[in-house]
Amino acid sequence: MIPTMESISPIIKVDRLTLAYGNHLVLEDVSFEVQRGKCLVVMGGSGCGKSTLLKSLVGLLEPSVGKIEINSLNLWAGDKTDNSILKEFGVLFQGGALWSAMTIKENVSLPLEIYTDLEDQDIDDLVRYKLSLVGLSGFEDFYPSEISGGMKKRAGLARAMALDPNILFFDEPSAGLDPITSRRLDDLITELKESLGITFVVVTHELASIFEIADDSIFLDAQSKSLLDQGKPDDLVKNSRFVRITDFLTRSESSTS
Amino acid sequence: MDEISQHNSRKENCDLNIPNMEWSFEGREVFISFSGSWSILSDQKPNLVSRWNVLLKESIDIEVFHLNCSGSTEWDSSLVVFLNKIIKDIQKQEKKVGMQGIPHGLGKLLELSASNQSEESDDVSTFDELEKFASDLPNYLIQPIEFFGAVIIAFFDFISGRSVMRWQDFFESARRCGASALPIVTLISFLTGLTMAFVGSVQLEKFNAKIYVADLVSLAMVREMGALMVAIIMAGRTGASFAAEIGNMNLNEEIDSLRTFGISPISFLVLPRTLALFIMTPLLTLYADVVGIMGGLTVGTVVMDFSVIHYLEQTQAALTHMWEVYSGVAKSLLFGLIIGLVGCYKGMYSGRDSAALGKSVTSAVVVSITFIIVTDALFETTFSYLELR
Repeated sequence: MIPTMESISPIIKVDRLTLAYGNHLVLEDVSFEVQRGKCLVVMGGSGCGKSTLLKSLVGLLEPSVGKIEINSLNLWAGDKTDNSILKEFGVLFQGGALWSAMTIKENVSLPLEIYTDLEDQDIDDLVRYKLSLVGLSGFEDFYPSEISGGMKKRAGLARAMALDPNILFFDEPSAGLDPITSRRLDDLITELKESLGITFVVVTHELASIFEIADDSIFLDAQSKSLLDQGKPDDLVKNSRFVRITDFLTRSESSTS
Repeated sequence: MDEISQHNSRKENCDLNIPNMEWSFEGREVFISFSGSWSILSDQKPNLVSRWNVLLKESIDIEVFHLNCSGSTEWDSSLVVFLNKIIKDIQKQEKKVGMQGIPHGLGKLLELSASNQSEESDDVSTFDELEKFASDLPNYLIQPIEFFGAVIIAFFDFISGRSVMRWQDFFESARRCGASALPIVTLISFLTGLTMAFVGSVQLEKFNAKIYVADLVSLAMVREMGALMVAIIMAGRTGASFAAEIGNMNLNEEIDSLRTFGISPISFLVLPRTLALFIMTPLLTLYADVVGIMGGLTVGTVVMDFSVIHYLEQTQAALTHMWEVYSGVAKSLLFGLIIGLVGCYKGMYSGRDSAALGKSVTSAVVVSITFIIVTDALFETTFSYLELR
């Protein structure tokens, strides 16, 4: 982590965002910022709009109202997303979302082939390096259907990092993984954040992960369809004004009813 | 016991292996006891329900219903559901329920299911469905236009060399929809030619013009049947596989991940497949034409005793102008385009569950074949109108 970066403006700025599927409102008036090189966890119960918010942040769902700025560039300027912003970030989807017709190596190399003029050998070296970062050396020629769920996520992570993005978005990294594998993935996030200075936005409701990786967190609420509170999870547990948040973070049901 | 108390007990039901319900009245109260073995496998349920309905009718002036389960030797969900129904019925009549001898677990289950019970929702009315259809209607109209526009843009990107389409995807698609389809195309076309020759020979024999079977088979194959048969095979084989493949990618968020990399799924997935089909369908049609004529030749030589040379010369004479061949190939170009676009469209816009995927694949085949037949009819009408025959 380079200390001087701390002073620079936030890398992601979300301003008064409202999201809806047709007439069905999902989130209303959400504003928050993500600081460079930090890990922001988006948490909340099932159906609160976490994944929808992520979709919007990565340019897959156009907001009804509001603005998303990534590196001071407006993500939804005009009618379509700007490709130069898209190269700023990588996304790891819930199931890895690897391109099933391609090998792991081809999955990671495709963005490099499309966006760079590198020689095949250079691309090959880069792919091997990225795969070794996530512990998948030796699996280059496997197809996604031939590797386990945890490996798919790691391969997805290598692919998301293919273009050396400044930001990585994660959708439920620990979903469907055993505790040890999910812990390893958390450790990987922390290591990458510290060594590469990547900013992380992680959507999860896994408490263990939240406390492990989060520098900052926002809590989305299904009832009010809004952002309830923002802060470090450790602080939220102690000081949040909202019982729903303390209940969530302590796995209790004391006062929701 | 009170004098007016009644007793209702079915001796034949006292067997411990059968669920049983007995009751006795005491003044304005009724004591219902459940005994025997309550199992969801038991066939006594309708019997018990009808007895309960009788009891409910008889007890208009009863104020309290006491339920007692201490006699039941075994129980499972069937007792919980039955008790729930009874309690609901009693509460509907605004009467009191008393519980005695309820096993601990059973009491807990009753409590749990009562606390989580939701109001029974009404059936979806026709009106709601109509409303949904009306609100979805713009999508049905706009989506295909949007898709077609995106394909045209992707095609111009391709021509100008800015496309992300990979040639290896194009060749792979071409192999799968072209070369791999040869066996089935061979079989179907050969048999089509063969059948037409048989059917034609019977009719032509009446006029003593059997040799014209060569004209009949060759003209029908090159002008109509070759293109049509190949198109139908392609729709069922390749169109369906495009829809399933792309639909599955949609399901697994693979298309979303392409988009997040700024890679257009139209250029990357739709274009190579559609182009491959656009080129392969006419080639297969030409091949089918030849194989179909071979089918006719087989009947002509083996069954009708024409010489191979004689039959082929007759065929050559029938196709002198080549117009019929060109018209068949022209049609097949459009058929290939239709199958590719419909298959990919159905995949791209399929719902995100496996049932929706199945529907998309079916619909890809049905829509393709419908469009093919309609286009074919339009072609023939136009040719006929322009006297191009």
